[in-house]
Amino acid sequence: MINIKKAGYHGILLSDYSIGFDFSTPDAQHIFISHAHADHMPYKSKEPVYCTENTFKLMQKRGYRDEANLLSFGETVQLPKAQVTLFPAGHILGSAMVYVETNEGSVLYTGDYRTPPSPASEGFEYPKQVDHLITEATFSLPVYKWAPYDELIEEVQQFAIQTLDEGYTPVFLAYNLGKAQEVMNMLAPTELPLQIHGAGFKLCEVYEEAGIELGNYETYNRLTCEGKVLITTNSAINNGFASNVKKKKLAYCSGWAARESSRAQLTVHKLIPLSDHLDFFELINLCKKLNPKKVHITHTPNASVVQHYLDELNIDSRFLDLEAETDD
Amino acid sequence: MSNTFKNLAETAQKILETRSNNAKVAICARYFKSLDSDKDLNRAAQFLGEGAFSSISGERAVIGSRTYSTCAAEFCEINYEKVFKPSKTALGSSSEAIEKLMHNIDAARKKRSPAELTLAEVETIYKAISEVSSRADKQQILRDAWKQMTPLEIKYFIRIMTRGSLRIGFESRSVVSAIAQAFGKKVKDVRYAHMITGSIGRTAVLCKNDRLDEAIFKLFHPLSFMLASPIESRAIENIGEYIAEEKFDGMRCQMHISGNKVELYSRDLNDITHSFPEIVNFFAERNLPDLVLDGEVCVYKNDEILPFQLLQKRMGRKKPSSKIMDKFPVLFIAYDVLFYDDEPIFEKSLTERRKILKKLAEQFNLPISNQFEISDEDSVEELFERALAHGNEGLMLKKKDSTYEYGQRRKSWLKVKKPGGTLDTVMMYAHAGSGKRGGYYSDFTLGIRVAEDERYEEEFIPIGKAYGGYTDEEMKRMNKRIKDLTVEKYGPTLGLIPELVIELEFDDIQINKRTKANYTLRLPRFKSIRWDLGPDDTDTLQDVERMYQEKINRKRLKQDENPSFYFEND
Repeated sequence: MINIKKAGYHGILLSDYSIGFDFSTPDAQHIFISHAHADHMPYKSKEPVYCTENTFKLMQKRGYRDEANLLSFGETVQLPKAQVTLFPAGHILGSAMVYVETNEGSVLYTGDYRTPPSPASEGFEYPKQVDHLITEATFSLPVYKWAPYDELIEEVQQFAIQTLDEGYTPVFLAYNLGKAQEVMNMLAPTELPLQIHGAGFKLCEVYEEAGIELGNYETYNRLTCEGKVLITTNSAINNGFASNVKKKKLAYCSGWAARESSRAQLTVHKLIPLSDHLDFFELINLCKKLNPKKVHITHTPNASVVQHYLDELNIDSRFLDLEAETDD
Repeated sequence: MSNTFKNLAETAQKILETRSNNAKVAICARYFKSLDSDKDLNRAAQFLGEGAFSSISGERAVIGSRTYSTCAAEFCEINYEKVFKPSKTALGSSSEAIEKLMHNIDAARKKRSPAELTLAEVETIYKAISEVSSRADKQQILRDAWKQMTPLEIKYFIRIMTRGSLRIGFESRSVVSAIAQAFGKKVKDVRYAHMITGSIGRTAVLCKNDRLDEAIFKLFHPLSFMLASPIESRAIENIGEYIAEEKFDGMRCQMHISGNKVELYSRDLNDITHSFPEIVNFFAERNLPDLVLDGEVCVYKNDEILPFQLLQKRMGRKKPSSKIMDKFPVLFIAYDVLFYDDEPIFEKSLTERRKILKKLAEQFNLPISNQFEISDEDSVEELFERALAHGNEGLMLKKKDSTYEYGQRRKSWLKVKKPGGTLDTVMMYAHAGSGKRGGYYSDFTLGIRVAEDERYEEEFIPIGKAYGGYTDEEMKRMNKRIKDLTVEKYGPTLGLIPELVIELEFDDIQINKRTKANYTLRLPRFKSIRWDLGPDDTDTLQDVERMYQEKINRKRLKQDENPSFYFEND
């Protein structure tokens, strides 16, 4: 029996092993950070956290001020009662799944992940034997199924090229860590000049050091942005980003773009369902392949849908509500 | 193949994906032009503009969302309760959920082999659905149809069938523009033909064949009403261009008269003649010329216009008893004339129409509204107070030089109304929104307090459902709060801890025995979210009862001096 609990803000604690995932606390001695998105990374930590080098670099650029123990993928760290290995999660650069082996069984904490992986990440690999799978399930409904990657690349490139042909400036709304660089990577072969919002720009260096091709880009400049491919976030576009460019068209790049309602909510011209999470079908498929003793489902209002499908596969599961659950 | 349903679905999708309205109209116009046969043009315009059947045909493919949703779940071999419902809630649309499931799920893909159905074949399917009544029969037809369609076709097939909006940001007004553009005619002429024929498909065919002038107004075919905008929503440059009438606390009605044949139509163009025999007799006996009048049915007794709540006792009755007729006598008060001297006169100005109406009223002794000149805001204020004293809802301001803009809500007619009242209520349930509000909880059931009321066990009971009156920001803030207050989940509905207080504004209170409170509010909407109040501050059922009684018993100014209408009794 391994105790898996919610702890901190969106974090998880294996109390018997003093191991924590994605939060910072004195309750756990060994903290593992899956990736550098704001809802997963801490901003300070008394003890050095474990993470990949790329995650550490990205965290530092986003304000993390303390120490880290860097781990490579596949490298095993020996703790008093467990050994821990990181696997590439395919979500964003540096993103890792944390694999914990103990005498009482093994745990795989996925963090956020995507399979097939983002080409702007280190890929996706998973251990063969897992007893407890703690998985995110952000898009856990069968209405979410991502298009083949080639089609998405085509959509992104065509939107940029056609919009420019029509005399408009194309603007991609994409989260500034991960999605923005993935879109840039998709556009790189077009060699179109590109400007990215400052918050995303400073992270691009880490991607380039990791050998990810980001194309012909520079930081956003209000005076020179017209006629270039622009990349920014939803919130920036509402706060004056390129507001001087009257003729522009917006494309929203997100898994949520699979919902027709986001067109009107964000007043965009194009919806490109490009997600950095795996879709419903990949999730069920992975559970089937791993066939764990138990699946612990997080990050979804629809855990019951996943559970319904896991029941049919005779896989035990539960909802680990990171939103509402208090200490238990 | 331009006459396939797939082509229509793809055109609709392209219109959805286009932002500029001009560009949307141009896409639709190109599509209409590409259709070779008149029959297909008729079908395409009707499907995009009106639904499966033309609104005047009286035919309907009656099919509920549960019927087609359970059918779709079965088709996709997924659990309706456990999988379909959450999918629908997440997207805020059953038809969109069905489109995605049909695309994503292997079991559904295997059953479908798109057959490029023609518009005519799809029309036949809609007819078949309208001719069967059992759920099983309807579902059998749906299954057979879906097997031959792409997911996109299925989505629009459902939206057209249910006569809801196609949700492509393209309402029937835009379809009219597209028809005009496709065949080089004036939008105004196409709109006129549409209003007269009541069929957008037929209008398109007439337009294409240069025969718009054949769309002639016919008596006993009701035409769409001209509607008023709230005065708050419009900027008025010169109030002197308007006249004022009192806004009667009654029911809008259009009357067609030819000899002793008289028919009455409600605002949704239903025939309501049978409910009001005394009005029919009154007009049938007067040897009137052929006429169409626009006006209001009111309960009128002892020189007083009585509240709308009493008129409700007369509405929907096929044959009212003489007792009911004695108790709630009704009167038709005319305020506009639309057909006179054997021709429609919508294009004449209000001043000219009024002259005709006045002449008719004098000659045949008909009740007509009183009109008042206004010069400034003070005179409006004074008239408004008097209208309320008469028991009426407020004022109508009508632009003197305006034509009768059938079916439109613009600034030629303005309504000045006083809100019926406000109540502090508590939010009890939140319902998932659809369309633009998909993904949010946007509709709310509001309750009033009955904690100290011996008639009830509960602490709060529902009094109304509201889905407007707040900004997007407020909606988001409420959604955050709702998350914390949720205690139960029933599909798309959340049961909440009664905490959040909403000041609700409404137009009127009506008795409704089918509700727990026995009362319903007319047009309830948010006035403000009272973050400062708690559930103990909310109003009680007794407050509602008191407001209703005050409304009914309110002293009404008799129609003697400065009446709201006039009518020389014999």
